[in-house]
Amino acid sequence: MNFEKSAVYAALALFLFYAVLIFSLLSFFEGKNFLTILLAPDVLFSLQLSVLAATVAMLLAVAIGLPAAYALSRSNFPGKKIVDTFLELPMIMSPIALGAALLIFFNTRMGTAIQEKGILFVFEFPGIVLAQFATIAGLATRLMKTALDEISPRYEAVARSLGSSAWGAFWRITFPLSLRGLVSAMILCWAKAVGEFGATVTLAGTMAFKTETMPIAIFMALASADIPKTITLILILAGIGLTALYAVRFVEKRPAVL
Amino acid sequence: MIELRNLHLRAGAFRIENLDLEIKEKGIHVLLGPTGSGKTLILESIIGLRRFQEGKIFIGGREVQNLPPEQREISYVPQDLALFPHLTVKQNLLFGLRAKKRSGGESAAHLGHLIEALKIGHLLERYPQGLSGGEKQRVALGRALATAPKLLLLDEPLAALDPALKSEIQQLLISLHRSLQFTALHVTHDLDEAYLLGDTVIVLINGKVEQRGNKEDVFLRPRTVPTAQFLGLRNLFPGRVLRRDETDGLMVVSFWGKEIKIPSDHSAGRLAPGMEVILYLRPEEVLVLREGKPIKESLRPNILMGEILRILDRGTHRWVLFRPLGVDGHLEINLPNYVFRNLALEEGQKIRVAMRRESFWVIPSH
Repeated sequence: MNFEKSAVYAALALFLFYAVLIFSLLSFFEGKNFLTILLAPDVLFSLQLSVLAATVAMLLAVAIGLPAAYALSRSNFPGKKIVDTFLELPMIMSPIALGAALLIFFNTRMGTAIQEKGILFVFEFPGIVLAQFATIAGLATRLMKTALDEISPRYEAVARSLGSSAWGAFWRITFPLSLRGLVSAMILCWAKAVGEFGATVTLAGTMAFKTETMPIAIFMALASADIPKTITLILILAGIGLTALYAVRFVEKRPAVL
Repeated sequence: MIELRNLHLRAGAFRIENLDLEIKEKGIHVLLGPTGSGKTLILESIIGLRRFQEGKIFIGGREVQNLPPEQREISYVPQDLALFPHLTVKQNLLFGLRAKKRSGGESAAHLGHLIEALKIGHLLERYPQGLSGGEKQRVALGRALATAPKLLLLDEPLAALDPALKSEIQQLLISLHRSLQFTALHVTHDLDEAYLLGDTVIVLINGKVEQRGNKEDVFLRPRTVPTAQFLGLRNLFPGRVLRRDETDGLMVVSFWGKEIKIPSDHSAGRLAPGMEVILYLRPEEVLVLREGKPIKESLRPNILMGEILRILDRGTHRWVLFRPLGVDGHLEINLPNYVFRNLALEEGQKIRVAMRRESFWVIPSH
């Protein structure tokens, strides 16, 4: 067997591994109850909550992550490597540990003051958003930096010599050129936020009709041995995730000229 | 037009220190140097793309080092051209005019003239990806000149072109320069290009301006050894100034065990007796003597006997490697093809060559 064939078989084996996992769910799946479970008020609430929180978290991550990605891609500043390393922290740190760190922070003097004078995070909707933001912000920045790295800074240099301001050069040149990469990053981060469990459950808890996102609903359904509901929720979540991943490939395959 | 004063610039381990440079208005000025000499760093500092540690930059008398690139009134063509791939040729050409909010009749007329001169009218709706190398060059020049800049900076934009295309774009650049009368600073490591385009040439080696002046001065009368070496000059021989004779304007220089009288003004600066020097003798200025022909009196002291070691056909001329008798060294001679044919030279042949004292140029060793 040649090297190329072996590599293809490895890819197929991985595909089979995940496909078997998904199809094993179907062996317990009761199709006739799917719509009933999906349209149940608690599931619909969890779905809406997950989508809303993930969208807000993703937008926040982009709002802060895009300028950060630009700085990391284009500028040299003292401590750049340290900042860059910290951005990878959520990727290697257990989400529960991240959630615990957030929970502990809100028990410090500064955290308490934020909660008393500003927004309540612990066991509240903002807590879900914050937990998801903490999980995806580093990834969003890293992915957007990669998208910006692919665009030569020379374009901006020429645009500025032609009279564009720094912002104008970014908006008219770098942003449209990196748009596909940025949109891919947004979709991936949104999908990761939708599936986020550890940090969310630690900071926002498992309150039905309040902080019960889709992954938390799966956990709760499994804990109460409600297998049909568990499977239905997993399939919904997997469907959302796979659609998002397919969308990323669709965005990336668009022709080079916009 | 451009003045750099006491510029100190660091990029990694590379340093430019205490650089002073003045580039006059009008003309094409070539910043010539080997790869890694700091040419692009200087260009980027002038444009405003690179911060430097110390110094001042003036453009058109205005101090600009604290101004962003868009306020420096410079157009720039980088080596990779950087045509905006998501914009059509027309949008690329209009980019500068739109950024500067200039769309009046005068600007439109100028752009129309430029499109005609560059012969890119048929490309306007196309994207850069579909253009040939020459078409991309034309569009990049058009985009840079569309705002009618007073100063155009070119960072080796012709480096990747094949010789025929390069020659075509060079001619185009010269004719555009004649009609539009901008000042251009052209960065290159290509000696032929520097000679062809440059009204003045600035030789930059290791971050230091070794020489600047008109191109004949730089290419024929290098003032430092690094300049001579970078220019690829052949027949550089170590020697020593023995004495100067102020009455006849000659200096006596020893090399290869001979004493040669050279006009004192054929040297880079005033050379004192005892100074170590490098003598440069242009290969095309060496005379091969025909046997039996009378020899001018002034040539008699500077005749060498020796043997032809190698002859190469260089197309435009023959290159002859000559070894003088009793000397540990070689002399390279360039002979026009018709002279070569008349002399009927062969490898191994014993010949006499003469070195005219006016053909020497003397450079201090250090």
